Amino acid sequence: MLPTDISQELDYDICIVGAGIAGMESALNLGDMGYRVLLVEKEASIGGKMILLSKVFPTLDCASCISTPKMASAAHHPNVTIMVYSEIDEIERKENGTFGVQMHQKPTYVDPNACIGCGQCETACTVAIPDEFNFNLDARRVAHIPFPQAVPKKAILQRNGQSPCNHTCPAGVKPHGYTSLVRAGLHDAAFELHLETTPLIGSLSRACYAPCEKECTRGEFEGSVQIRAIKRFIADRYYELNSEPNYGPVKERKDKRIAIVGAGPAGLNAAFQLARKGYDVTIFEAEEKAGGTMQYGIPDVRLPKDVLERDIKNVTALGVSIRTNTKVESLEKLKQDGFDAVFLGLGCSRTRSKREESADGTTSVKTKAPGRVRSPNTTPFADEIKLAANGVIEINKTLQTSLPYVFAGGDAVTGPLTITAAIGQGNQAAYFIEQFLQGHPLNAADLKELECTDKLAVIAREARLSTRKPTKLLKRENVSKEEGRKAAKLPLTEEEARYSANRCLDCGNCSECHQCVSVCPSNAIDFSMQPIHHQIKVGSVIIATGFELFDAHRKPTFGFGKYPNVVTAMQMDRLLSPTRPFNSVLRPSDGKEPDNIAFVLCVGSRDSQVDHRLCSRVCCMYTAKQAQLIMGSLPLADVTIYYIDIRAFGKGYDEFYEQAKGMGVDFVHGKVADITESSEDEGNLVVRFENLTEGKIEKREHDLVVLSVGLLPNTSAQGMFRGTSIEADNFRYIKEMDEDMEPGVTSIDGVFVAGAANAARDIPDTILHSGAAAVQAAAYIENLKGLVC
Amino acid sequence: MLNRRIGVFICHCGGNISDYVDVEEVRKSVENSPGVVLSKKHMFTCSDAAQTEMMKDVLDEKLDGLVIASCSPKLHLHTFRSMSERAGLNPYRYVQVNIREQCSWAHTDNMRGATKKAIALVEAGIAKSCLMPSLSTIRVETVPKALIIGAGIAGLRSALSLARLGIHAYLIEREEQPGGWVGNLGELFPQGKKGPSLIDSLLEQVRREEGITLFTGTELLEKSGNIGNFTVKLKTGQSDTISLNVGAIIVTTGFDTYAPQKTEYGFNDTNVITLAEYERCLQEGTGEIQYNGHTVKRVAYIYCVGSRQKTSESCPSPNTQCSRYCCTSAIHAAILTHKRDATVGQYHLYRDIRTYGKYELLYDEALNLGSIFLRFDAATPPTVHTDGQLRVNVHDTLTRGEEIEIDADLVVLVTGMVPRENKKLVNILKLPIGKDGFFNEIHPKLRPVETVIDGVFIAGTCQSPKTISESVASALSAVSKTAGLLKRGYVELEPLVAMVDADRCVWCDECTKACPYGAIQKVEHNGKEVAEIIPVLCKGEGACVPVCPKDALDVEGYTDHQITAMIDAFSKEMAK
Repeated sequence: MLPTDISQELDYDICIVGAGIAGMESALNLGDMGYRVLLVEKEASIGGKMILLSKVFPTLDCASCISTPKMASAAHHPNVTIMVYSEIDEIERKENGTFGVQMHQKPTYVDPNACIGCGQCETACTVAIPDEFNFNLDARRVAHIPFPQAVPKKAILQRNGQSPCNHTCPAGVKPHGYTSLVRAGLHDAAFELHLETTPLIGSLSRACYAPCEKECTRGEFEGSVQIRAIKRFIADRYYELNSEPNYGPVKERKDKRIAIVGAGPAGLNAAFQLARKGYDVTIFEAEEKAGGTMQYGIPDVRLPKDVLERDIKNVTALGVSIRTNTKVESLEKLKQDGFDAVFLGLGCSRTRSKREESADGTTSVKTKAPGRVRSPNTTPFADEIKLAANGVIEINKTLQTSLPYVFAGGDAVTGPLTITAAIGQGNQAAYFIEQFLQGHPLNAADLKELECTDKLAVIAREARLSTRKPTKLLKRENVSKEEGRKAAKLPLTEEEARYSANRCLDCGNCSECHQCVSVCPSNAIDFSMQPIHHQIKVGSVIIATGFELFDAHRKPTFGFGKYPNVVTAMQMDRLLSPTRPFNSVLRPSDGKEPDNIAFVLCVGSRDSQVDHRLCSRVCCMYTAKQAQLIMGSLPLADVTIYYIDIRAFGKGYDEFYEQAKGMGVDFVHGKVADITESSEDEGNLVVRFENLTEGKIEKREHDLVVLSVGLLPNTSAQGMFRGTSIEADNFRYIKEMDEDMEPGVTSIDGVFVAGAANAARDIPDTILHSGAAAVQAAAYIENLKGLVC
Repeated sequence: MLNRRIGVFICHCGGNISDYVDVEEVRKSVENSPGVVLSKKHMFTCSDAAQTEMMKDVLDEKLDGLVIASCSPKLHLHTFRSMSERAGLNPYRYVQVNIREQCSWAHTDNMRGATKKAIALVEAGIAKSCLMPSLSTIRVETVPKALIIGAGIAGLRSALSLARLGIHAYLIEREEQPGGWVGNLGELFPQGKKGPSLIDSLLEQVRREEGITLFTGTELLEKSGNIGNFTVKLKTGQSDTISLNVGAIIVTTGFDTYAPQKTEYGFNDTNVITLAEYERCLQEGTGEIQYNGHTVKRVAYIYCVGSRQKTSESCPSPNTQCSRYCCTSAIHAAILTHKRDATVGQYHLYRDIRTYGKYELLYDEALNLGSIFLRFDAATPPTVHTDGQLRVNVHDTLTRGEEIEIDADLVVLVTGMVPRENKKLVNILKLPIGKDGFFNEIHPKLRPVETVIDGVFIAGTCQSPKTISESVASALSAVSKTAGLLKRGYVELEPLVAMVDADRCVWCDECTKACPYGAIQKVEHNGKEVAEIIPVLCKGEGACVPVCPKDALDVEGYTDHQITAMIDAFSKEMAK
């Protein structure tokens, strides 16, 4: 074999971590030079922080207008491959100077190839969460396209684990889903969502043991969301309006027949799910009536039988025939009768509750305890399938018995189950029977769900939650104990149901209400999506992970987070941008147009108190820019800037500063000590500062205060390297080993740094530095090409 | 025209268009228009699925023209041109009609009107498509060599990187000695390197590098040719000239320091010196600092001399720019001073201390070492008294404007960078000059090393004041752009350029005056002088077209004929 150069073995020449303006610039430069670039971005769109800005200094160009062409060029460049919503797990430097990159693409739950970016899912989504694109000034939906100019323009569902209620339900019901639908007033959709999981909605709304309520995070505050009561509202309302199901058998029939033995919750559910797929389903029930435990085990006061009957209609409407009083004795016989698969959903034999007609014609249950459970009645099949010692049927993890065409669930395999759990088994059995009939391999892992949301994180997030008591507690207030107890048991009115649904904390963000699934014109929503892991060989790595903004909460004397009208400069930039949340500059507390705005410079910069002595380089200029933009958008507003030194040092910057002064911006040489709320004018703020020119402490009132927060290093890349760490400077920026002569060169040979990952930089300096880093990486690749393997 | 086979596709854009424009009505109205053989609607024409279907239509129906009525061409012109190309249709036979930004989004209150306007615009697009010829991009082979003008730190460093990428660098320097300003500097911030040793080590590497040819005492005489293939003529020594072929040119001609006027801050006094002079003084000797035969114990620095100036009687053409490096440089000099003699009193008279970024640490250090900072307002600058004891008076705004008098052994004027006069070079390269006198980039944020002259880049302090590391970063950035241009071997330029009807042209020279790119030349045609377009220089902006008294000029893709046809089609539809 002829020797080849090492670079021939690579998947890409260069991997760039971070697709902000620095990463994009490096990628485009390298792509133009002919190198193959992989650009990895952790967010769902490329563009970084620059795309979030309104306009940029000193030219006052619209930030979108000058970054979208860069984004589009990167997306279309034949030598640049972009992976968004992806994170690097580890980078290893090989002995020959190349790198192994382990990374994964996070699931977006939207197939990017199918998504057409129409945004219909966003409109339909029923959960609103704070919009990080607008720095939490307003809300956005969980299903969303990150922002109007996103590249790629694809929707994502930003899930935060599975909500505890959804995660815990053994039936697979989505309580968060129907709760958010009720909150949105979509009561029919709530019923239909529930129907996706089970037809037994009315029964569950009375007889479920509601494990969801036990897991509900709101339970850590004033009491859990009354989820079962909401369900009852949904079911009762729907049945009131629809005495019969509004559907018939599905049109597309499949030529396979399935026998279900036992019309209890497991059997009914399996029948329902299979019939919805178009299979011909027959249920054999030994008793006189369908319903199993629900029919015979639960007293009428808890579960009125008309509700159960209506639930069962949801099954029979699909064409499922229920043969009551029919005992199945032989599985072989079923096969001979033409059934392709069998589900055994057998209950346990019980002491039958004694029933009695009462004088007024209603049925009541005399024996209060619903029959003592003995053992499953599996004896008829003992010759045909394997049973365990205690008489239960032996199954594998896919509910398949020793006879491949026979599946089993419910009490018959596990011993006694709650109806909720039995429903879950019926659903699982239906899934595996369908797989079996379609000739697909049976794989238990198919049913794996997303892991549960971290409840502690939700509690932390909701620390400043407003109090909303459950209706059952509210109804007990100011009435007698007895009256209160009665009132609390009444079903919810529509208003109460919506109030209760509004108490939901949206723990996992996505409620799984499936509205997005219903509206998506291209069937792109895919809840089964998993992370995709990649192992990639590259010749060089550029770190372009940018910066983080100083968290203004760390200066408590400035009142950020305490006073609504103290905002950060990034929020102000959003208020001024063309894609702004309110279409005007408004102050948060009352939506008033501010007319006396103050900027405080050096928040989190040049400040030993927060252990950050460095100057952040950009704040003076972005503040001068925002001041000019405010004067354009609110011509009557007064703008004051409190500063230590105005650092307008770049090309055209000092001229820009002079222009702001010329427009009437009041530059006050002084250091701000603290900010408090005015006692007279609501929402106004009092800035106390040292007026250096006058040599005294002064107070001035403003109706909006903007904190010009500084830049901090993003340290996320520093732990990425296996067996070594990349050297950082005293301020935790990635260090250049010779900043005079070798821009971008780090302590790891072949790893380069571009832009603000190395030091606070404005956009022009970032562009220059990223071009330089690109050249350094290219030279490294050229060197690799000289090495043969 | 009637035998054209044009396909028209109307996009719903989700509901972005179809909510306010009756898409089906648009489709129906144009389906029988002249040349149209196919008209369809798509939910999203830009989606992969729709593109695949349209490509199939192009092939099946043997379409020779394509009109897509959708969003702004800024968004998807490129998308659909490349789709056309994949379908085997000349990309310039594709016409995009914008019925989103111009119809549905603009007229949300008037669906009828929006629909009518959309139909008219699509008709105009069809009319244009009927007249669009097949065009090819203009392909220019590139020479893998570059000329770098100026062998200061930026020029030397860019030559090294170019060579490492396999691009030969011709590095020319007007002076006999390469190295520029940095070669004469002492200890440098922030790393504490020495200027001369820095330059020596760079020169050593340059001399070892086969891919670099260094010419000292050499100037550029002439430049001709175009992007990717310039011919440059150099004058070396007294009389020799050399001619070279290069694909790109990087200009790294550096800056000049501001020279104070004799009357400015007592500059005529021997003990009033510039920062550069003081830095040289600091390099000499050890221990107590000697200047002009006496020991220096008190230094007053006056900042912003020759920077951030405003127009006044004494200063009719001010240097308005901040020179960026000088605050840090003066503070660094104060630290060096302290290290030599900790008993020296140092007074800094400043306007704003601009030790941006990590340089803030030097400011901290100087403060900690005892430097005293006094702040003055530009309206009341310090005064230097050279009669008798050298002293400086300043109204210090940090102490409520109190007047402070400082007896000083030495007054150091912290002078800034000013653009270097270089008229000859500017004329040869047609370099654009900004308001501040420095060379001007295309865009200060996005294209800071590129100029409007394709293939000519600027780097280092000829573009704006910079520190050493910033100059080097910009030098490497210019290398990046050069390599992007030259490593592929060719460049492709848009064919939508001007063209001359030689029969009509009478060579009145009006067009050459209007063209900002020098893209028009005089040639002989059938025995007369006529204008000819140099396609590689023309940007197709059309400034020449309206000034031609003979209507002899047209821009490809926007010819009079095409525009007239579009207006006719549009107005005919609107008149219905």
